Amino acid sequence: MFLLTLVVTMLLTAVIGVLVERVAYRPLRDAPRASAAITGLMVGIFLETANLALLGASRKTFPTLLEDTVYRLGGVILTNVKVMIVGLALLLMWALHLLVQKTKLGMAMRAMSVDYAILPLMGVPVNTVIVLTFALGSALAGAAGVLFSMAYPVLEPYMGLLIGWKAFVAAILGGRGSIPGAVLGGFILGFIEIFVAALFVSTLRDLIAYSVVLLILTYRPYGLFGEPYSARLRL
Amino acid sequence: MRKSGWVVGLVLLSAIGVAGVPLTVAQVITIGHVAPLTGDIPKVGEEGKFALEMWVEDVNQAGGLLVGGKRYRVRVIHEDNESKAESAAAATTKLITEDKVLAIIGAYASKQAIPAGVVANRLQTPMISPWSTNPRTTKDRPWVFRAAFLDDFQGRVLAKFIKDEFQVRKVAVLYDVASDYPKGLAEFFRQGAAEVGLEVVAFESFTTKDRDFSAQLTKIKNSGAELLFTPQYYDEVPLIVKQAHQLGWTKPIVGSDSWGSPELMKLCGDDCVGSFFSTHWAVAGAKGAAKAFIERFQKRYGYVPGDVAALAWDSAHLLQQAILDCGQLTGNLAQDRKCVRDALASIKTYQGITGAMRFNEEGDPIKCAVIVRINAQHEFEFYKSACP
Amino acid sequence: MTWWQRAGQRLPAWPLLAWLAGALVAAVVERAVGLHVVHALGLPTLPSMFGLSSVFAEPGLMPHTLAYLLLVYLLPAGGVAALLAPWVRRSLVRLSPRLALLVHLGVLYAVFHVWGHTDDYRLLVLRLLGIGIILTTSLNLVNGWMGEFSVSVAGFMAVGAYVSSVLTVWGFVDDDVFGPAVLPAVLAPFAFPLVLVLGGVAAALSALLVAVPSFRTRGDYLAIISLAYVFIVKSALENAEFIGGPRGFMNQPTLASLPVVFVWTLLCVATIALYVTSTYGKATSAVRDNESAAEAVTVDTRRVKVVAFLTHAFWSGIAGGLYAHVIGYINPSNFGLIKSAEVLAMLYLGGLSSVSGSVLGTVLFQLLSEVLRPLKLVKWLVIPVLLILVMVFRPRGLFGFRELRLPFVPARPYGAAGD
Repeated sequence: MFLLTLVVTMLLTAVIGVLVERVAYRPLRDAPRASAAITGLMVGIFLETANLALLGASRKTFPTLLEDTVYRLGGVILTNVKVMIVGLALLLMWALHLLVQKTKLGMAMRAMSVDYAILPLMGVPVNTVIVLTFALGSALAGAAGVLFSMAYPVLEPYMGLLIGWKAFVAAILGGRGSIPGAVLGGFILGFIEIFVAALFVSTLRDLIAYSVVLLILTYRPYGLFGEPYSARLRL
Repeated sequence: MRKSGWVVGLVLLSAIGVAGVPLTVAQVITIGHVAPLTGDIPKVGEEGKFALEMWVEDVNQAGGLLVGGKRYRVRVIHEDNESKAESAAAATTKLITEDKVLAIIGAYASKQAIPAGVVANRLQTPMISPWSTNPRTTKDRPWVFRAAFLDDFQGRVLAKFIKDEFQVRKVAVLYDVASDYPKGLAEFFRQGAAEVGLEVVAFESFTTKDRDFSAQLTKIKNSGAELLFTPQYYDEVPLIVKQAHQLGWTKPIVGSDSWGSPELMKLCGDDCVGSFFSTHWAVAGAKGAAKAFIERFQKRYGYVPGDVAALAWDSAHLLQQAILDCGQLTGNLAQDRKCVRDALASIKTYQGITGAMRFNEEGDPIKCAVIVRINAQHEFEFYKSACP
Repeated sequence: MTWWQRAGQRLPAWPLLAWLAGALVAAVVERAVGLHVVHALGLPTLPSMFGLSSVFAEPGLMPHTLAYLLLVYLLPAGGVAALLAPWVRRSLVRLSPRLALLVHLGVLYAVFHVWGHTDDYRLLVLRLLGIGIILTTSLNLVNGWMGEFSVSVAGFMAVGAYVSSVLTVWGFVDDDVFGPAVLPAVLAPFAFPLVLVLGGVAAALSALLVAVPSFRTRGDYLAIISLAYVFIVKSALENAEFIGGPRGFMNQPTLASLPVVFVWTLLCVATIALYVTSTYGKATSAVRDNESAAEAVTVDTRRVKVVAFLTHAFWSGIAGGLYAHVIGYINPSNFGLIKSAEVLAMLYLGGLSSVSGSVLGTVLFQLLSEVLRPLKLVKWLVIPVLLILVMVFRPRGLFGFRELRLPFVPARPYGAAGD
């Protein structure tokens, strides 16, 4: 049941991702890069409002797919759902890392971030690669949505907003184009948030967490594992 | 040729306009409703809107309001404030100056009710906020009223209830530091607790839209607190309560009026059974007008109304009372607004579905809070009533 | 030849000033006889926002509204413009460009004044429009001419809003936070510019947090730094109990009247327009196009970056101060990422590196946002779709990298000369 939900969700979000790419990103491929960020933002608002309009304002609850079991190991309290989420997330990230680093498709993706204009000259089918990248990214985001809702089973139209921003922060903190970096970035952000709340005054959590982000990026201007921009980056 | 075509077209159109069926200027009272239909809390806006729709239907089916020998139909214009302060100000201004409403019902969250109140007070239009609990919404604003009790009252009532009921000494508080209502209520609860001799051993916070509270809850658990008070909204409470139970918390959990949505139990299930919270009314075992309201609302919109709907309903009836008390509408908007405001200010007591209330000079109601217990049938059951 | 140029050619070639004078007459006509026309036509009230919102609220009144627009706005405005056109054309030539510009602005303000003071809603919309223009134009300096992607505008606004609010409330209002007023209230309008500037300076100083890291990084990384800045400011304000924390800070005197907002908006637009046409502005664009090459031709890139960020932050702080004194209440959650996203949407709608684009983008977005109010929930389905359509068909925004040239405004082309 759980696996079926996960796979179907991933397929559906992949389809949405491809549609969004077609509608909102492809026409803007030669525009300033930030214009695409704005259409992306607008697509987000549209999807959220459509959700609100179609499903109504009520919060939805996420059905229990796996019965909760609580484990106690010494002072540490774990639930089977959380253990599984961490495991599955690591597995997916490892698979993604392999895909980006070892396959031809991954090589094309990486090449695209270096120089997008020259790629067609090398015989790379740019459109196919971009569509696949979007499908992959959206499918993984869909998987994250399922896992997140299993752990925190209250659904609302705007639930993705803050998580989305945090994901962006974590990815960039790790360095663009580095999957281990993104994992580490996410871990650092989460670690700071939890530990500030646990050890200091919890009201200062955001202040401290984002100050640390700012400091890290001031002293490591290209994130933890990122490389400086190539000189001819299209901005 | 082309140009003259345009001119002819426009003149024709305006001719249609002038010759068009003249609008019958019916006797209509227009009320503005400023509500968060999109943004953070769309549910609040929706319930308020539904409650007012029912009120309009009631009044118009009865042939309208009889004021000074004339019958007036009632019309409500709903405006979305998008959960933004400037949008609340703009929507309120638009209703007052463009739509020429007699009075405003709304806004809901204090974040929007305060700027809306600034506008209503300056433009001298009576406004009733059904749901805003921040003392500053009505302070020094003769034109602004409200139907809910205030945070400081609720904080004291809860502290006293906890002290009397559970015989505990040490309590913990978990609240959202970035949201005005939980933050304010948490502060007032801490003051109230100090007054009755409760010790707040953990005062933990998180930020709006957080979904994981394990760090804070672990700290609370280790603080030796005997009870957890969390003045959070109904969509956060299930996560807090479930996570607390997973971390091994077995002691009582108490909440505030923001728990009072029937959706709470849909989301929370058995985890919330046995908890207490303070609210404006008790749905289970409601009698009389409240019962009728609940049944009608549920039949019409498919769910049991929460306290927001009840407060919006009471606000509308308070306004209706004031309009009737006014005796006569002159058609001069400034005069009529003044008349309605004075009538609102002089309402001594009012029996609403959220209890009896009277108003002090700030425009705040003095009314009792209800403490409800969540029973095994997942209903909000009347437990006791706490009066000022 | 683009569509608006073609549309422009269709219009009679009357000078802008004649149209402005026409608009002024139309506004006066509405003030004088608007209500009579409304009653004669059987409309309930003056059509709000040129009758555009009533299209959605009461479609049945469309013909009445059109008739009103024709009678009160179009006929007087067009007639007066036609009558005055020859005379205006002759006399404008005799004026110096500077004087001509002043005359244009004076008449423009008069139009706003008469039209805006008809009711409070128009007044509020106009003032929020001015604030939006300041935000968008100044953000364009960083995101357009300097080619960064900064999202910290809401944070700068918050700093300006809080600093100026604290000063005016402490100085001129009897308040339970700061006690009785320190200075007589008569002084308030005169002290207000100073207060605003102090708010702007505070915002500019805090912008160093973003400007300094920009020496070594750019692009996505700088975007995240500016994002972190917004969270830091918001969290700091939420913890600042003495100014209300998350419950907000209120009782600001409503000092930001229409003329005040108009003058500040004008100052901001003029500053940015002069900035980007100056040598300094050219250096800023050079940093965008190729930082190393700019360095090689002796551009002090660090200074360029700091000045651009600080200018942006200063004006955003001013806008924040004006906002606080229009609404009369501020709350940390007013200044979150949603606010930044709104300004960014207006900026990219209008187009990067274009002063007129920023102004037009703001006007379009904010008017649309008001006009579509009656649609409620559907409004937030319509606006994204419209914006996506604009971006798809004009990926650089409406006026990206070019300026709109109006007839008879003495203006030189500036900025990167576009395609």
